[in-house]
Amino acid sequence: MLAIDVKDLRKEFRVQKNREGLSGALKDLFKREYREVRAVKDISFQIPQGEICGYIGENGAGKSTTIKMLTGILVPTAGELKVNGYVPYKDREKFVNGIGVVFGQRSQLWWDIGVIESFQLLRKVYRVPEADFRKRLNNLVERLELGDLLNRPVRKLSLGQRMRCELVASLLHNPSILFLDEPTIGLDIVVKTEIRDFLMQMNREEGTTILLTTHDLQDIEALCSRVIMLDDGRVIYDGGLDELKTKWSKGREIQFQFANQTPIAKLKQLTEGINVGWTIENDVTAKLFVPHEVSVSEAMARVVGGADIRDIKIFETNTDEIVRGIYQSGSADVAKKEVATS
Amino acid sequence: MRYASLFWEYIKNYAKTRLTYRADFWIEVISDLLFQGMNLIFILIVFQHTASLGGWSELEVVFVYGFFMIPYGIFGTLFSIWNFSERYIVKGEMDRVLTRPAHSLFQVLFENVDPQSLIGSLVGAGIMAYCWGQMGLPFSFMDLVMLFLFIIGAVLIYAGLYTALNAISFYSDAPTGIVPLMYNIQNYGRYPVNIYNKIIRFMLTWLLPFAFVGVIPASYFLEQKSDDLSQLALLTPVMGLIVFGLGLAFWNHGVKRYRGAGS
Repeated sequence: MLAIDVKDLRKEFRVQKNREGLSGALKDLFKREYREVRAVKDISFQIPQGEICGYIGENGAGKSTTIKMLTGILVPTAGELKVNGYVPYKDREKFVNGIGVVFGQRSQLWWDIGVIESFQLLRKVYRVPEADFRKRLNNLVERLELGDLLNRPVRKLSLGQRMRCELVASLLHNPSILFLDEPTIGLDIVVKTEIRDFLMQMNREEGTTILLTTHDLQDIEALCSRVIMLDDGRVIYDGGLDELKTKWSKGREIQFQFANQTPIAKLKQLTEGINVGWTIENDVTAKLFVPHEVSVSEAMARVVGGADIRDIKIFETNTDEIVRGIYQSGSADVAKKEVATS
Repeated sequence: MRYASLFWEYIKNYAKTRLTYRADFWIEVISDLLFQGMNLIFILIVFQHTASLGGWSELEVVFVYGFFMIPYGIFGTLFSIWNFSERYIVKGEMDRVLTRPAHSLFQVLFENVDPQSLIGSLVGAGIMAYCWGQMGLPFSFMDLVMLFLFIIGAVLIYAGLYTALNAISFYSDAPTGIVPLMYNIQNYGRYPVNIYNKIIRFMLTWLLPFAFVGVIPASYFLEQKSDDLSQLALLTPVMGLIVFGLGLAFWNHGVKRYRGAGS
């Protein structure tokens, strides 16, 4: 069954145009001009139950707007969407019983009261029976190691502690879909890892569907089997993370450390005939760039056969670089072809 | 019923957070009462210069004021959302409200509940009882039932108008100064409406029916007057339902236009 089914989803905002200067402000007072800004442009995707899906894109690409439509906060301008069998904005109150939401930049908890009081209040709002609540809470508290935090007011928690409490708060009613909007923003590496492990485990044991937006691609690498990439309101990539890497990474780099000084001319001679590039790092080290169409073993074999080598390192292009490349080139062109062929 | 129990939960939380600041609590109570006291003194001063106001005696006008204080206190408890547009629309806290399974208006109201306003209601009831005795009005069980109905109706009228007023924030980016305007208009409803000219009277009765919060229902218990406002009194609960229904509809429609604060 599909957890999330989105078809031609669109969201437009009417934005007031502010004219410049005092005279402009006066003109605005009497006659306002508006323009339509399309934040999400007819996107479609489907997420089956039990999948962890990463939703990435630059700032302002439309990620948060999509999440807000999926969670029933915003009403779409056009298009169809179905989450958990509901149309979110239509049956909002019934629908939200089945989802959990964490906005990394905004607290879901009450600022002044103890964490446990917030949880109790949420229990009442979500109508969770006391026994279920206890069981669930104990389980979550144990897994996220919150034990001694429960009686502290939220305002006295550190960001990492608060974030873990936010996660618990969003899961108390046992939702089948969890939406996370930048859940690891501003957290240190230990807490990040803890949260990732926790999400992984929950997905595995309870089959919770997770959709998360993030700017930290390590989140994606650790968690997601699938990535949806957004640029300027359009989906420019939808598929596996590995595929994304192979499709957009241009190749690998091999670093050689030689026993003695090896001039570049000699190296070039060794790899003659295959399409690779050399860069010299210092007297005894050089880097060989191998594009995907050339096999690594062939390139290596040639070098190993012709030079005395101390050490070899292979560098995969990391996801950060790939994604930066896509953002920068605004590779919507490549992507459009992609969408057309798929 | 579910909302009643939710309301109770929020009240308990309020108690936990606010009652720890004891001084703050009493200062608010006292300033509330001082404000009401000023209004009362104003009435008393007016009556030092005249024996009756549009056919209403001093005790009657004070009686009306006492009645008004009861629904106003209840309203103040529930509708302490003076910073709604700033906090929920501009800062986007509405996001959080909308991801929870309860009606958005009630969540917003409960989060801001302010039970100390109820002290005003108690004082109002005291004033009303005092005037009741002084005027030697008959008292029956039915009066108590009617009083209860009128109070509910009056609270609903206030609630409906202020729900609609706050819902304007969903439609307009920068909410205007309409709240203070409304706040001033509502004060007119505490005095006998027949002292105003026809247009204002019509407005206070049917358009912004603040007369139904004070003078109209209160007149039900008083001696009949020549203009006989008390005939309208029985309409108070009906008006309450209509006004609140319209306010709620306006709110529900507005929520669909909510656009959130930037990501």
